[in-house]
Amino acid sequence: MSLVGSPVSSPVSSEPQAIPINALFGSDFVTLLVVVLSTDTMADVSRKVAANVVGKRIAPRRADMAVYYRDELVPKDWTVARAGITPLQFVLVDYVDD
Amino acid sequence: MGLMKREEWQELAGDVEWTFRYVDDEAVFPEWQCGTGKVPREVWAGWDEAYKMTYAEYVATQSEKEASAYSVKAAVQRSTIADTLDEGWKSNAKLHYGATALAEYAAALAELRMARFGLSPRWRNMAVLGCLDEIRHTQMSLYFAHEFVAKDAQFDWAQRAYHTNDWAIVAARGLFDALMFSPNVVDLALGLPLTFETGFTNLQFVALSADALAAGDVNFANLISSIQTDEARHAQQGGPTLELLIKHDPIRAQWVVDKSFWLSSRLFAILSGPSMDYYTPLAHRRYSYKEFMQEWIMTQYMRMLKEYGLKKPWYWDEFIEGLDVWHHALHLGVWFWRPTVWWKPQAGVSRAERVWLQSKYPTWEELYGPIWDVITDNLRRGKAEDTLPVTLPWLCNLCQLPISTMSKSANGKWSVKDFSLDHNDYTYHFCSRVCRQIWWEDRDSMHLKTVLERFLSGEVQPADLGGALAWMGITPDVAGEDAYAYRWAKSGGAAAAAEGRSTR
Repeated sequence: MSLVGSPVSSPVSSEPQAIPINALFGSDFVTLLVVVLSTDTMADVSRKVAANVVGKRIAPRRADMAVYYRDELVPKDWTVARAGITPLQFVLVDYVDD
Repeated sequence: MGLMKREEWQELAGDVEWTFRYVDDEAVFPEWQCGTGKVPREVWAGWDEAYKMTYAEYVATQSEKEASAYSVKAAVQRSTIADTLDEGWKSNAKLHYGATALAEYAAALAELRMARFGLSPRWRNMAVLGCLDEIRHTQMSLYFAHEFVAKDAQFDWAQRAYHTNDWAIVAARGLFDALMFSPNVVDLALGLPLTFETGFTNLQFVALSADALAAGDVNFANLISSIQTDEARHAQQGGPTLELLIKHDPIRAQWVVDKSFWLSSRLFAILSGPSMDYYTPLAHRRYSYKEFMQEWIMTQYMRMLKEYGLKKPWYWDEFIEGLDVWHHALHLGVWFWRPTVWWKPQAGVSRAERVWLQSKYPTWEELYGPIWDVITDNLRRGKAEDTLPVTLPWLCNLCQLPISTMSKSANGKWSVKDFSLDHNDYTYHFCSRVCRQIWWEDRDSMHLKTVLERFLSGEVQPADLGGALAWMGITPDVAGEDAYAYRWAKSGGAAAAAEGRSTR
């Protein structure tokens, strides 16, 4: 499995771009490299980040997940590109019922 | 011919200096190496060490030390002690050898820099003895580790570690480069002998020596306590240098000492922290890492600050908070990413061990207990694959360690904080406000790409975990694994803290 995917190219390209982000899931103890696509929705981003953590270091819960970027909640249907998340940025994913 | 008494000649000999006629002083002692800065050149003539030693005395003393250390080794080698050592404890030795053996050689080169560019003849003489010390430490560390190579290839990393790009070694190399090679020799004397060797080597060599003896590793205790006797002497180079710098440039003195202390404390959190609180068998732990730090580092360091008229570092609150969290997170990281290290980390979270951890660190169960619960539960259900990494942790652009420092927010919730910095259209990430500040101030000399950045830039191929392991020099025969093949998991888990019995 490749961790990086295809290299990041022009931000105006209509093709999905691989975006490596610095991601933290909730109360996990470490931030991680996670690669998302510019076309991923926040629901997709949540799933990709959680896949590295939930059930491995954080117990799974029946609750929605949300993405926070620059301390702001990002609407679930927004894409990475629309949220303005660019390579190397920090993103927090967490369960929302707290 | 009778020899003169030392006191009749040493003061005079210590002042022997050359007046160069065919070259400029600046050509012999360039500022970028000597670093006198605001300290007037002639002031260095007043540099004076407290504890004096001649070369003849040095040779006699070192000869006795060598005879003692190697005779103990020879005796232990004939015994079966090494075969009975706890596997978790052996990780202490492997980690120590890998992280320090060739760092000792680097220190020999650093001592040579002071022996060449120190602006006082007394200082240069002492640095020559310091260099001989460090060569001895390198030779001893390699020789003592070599005995085990035939039985366990991980011990070969005493020789190999610094020739690889393993992430833990990159972090160590970053610190030692910052202390020994990028600074001028004045800053070097404040960073290495004064801060690192006066304080932190006590922790690794004296405190860990006590744990080694308790764990039955007589040889290792013998090695590191013999080394420490040298450190205590040549570490003296820091004091007189600091005295002069404080008098003429107190702001620079404070910055260099503060920076060196912070960088050292970050590395020791991963070097000594897991060793003392997780790898040393519970029955043989005398003090926690935090207690050792409080006794051996904080007390001594605060005394030194007061003695020289320095202020408490601006980050003191973060440092104190870090004693409760840094090394627990770094240990978790090492254990979870265990295939990336050259030793066998023991989890150290059986029921009895968790009770001990909670007694020493009141927030341990709240912060790390739930994470170990999930890991333990996966192991009990035979899902070891879920306790292994599939991606890389993000690494701090200064200390090169995973970003894993938890702190308490205003709402009372604990979480890892990321401290980022945008500079020249690039985003850097740091584990703490302090790492970010030091990087910003000294970025010209401390700008080192992290393993993760090398991975993202395409230097690591194939760009997957296997490629990263190969790039780091980790081969299947040395890749770390759990020290006890998960046997501890039977007695760990959610109820661990509530019960006080060990079944390991």
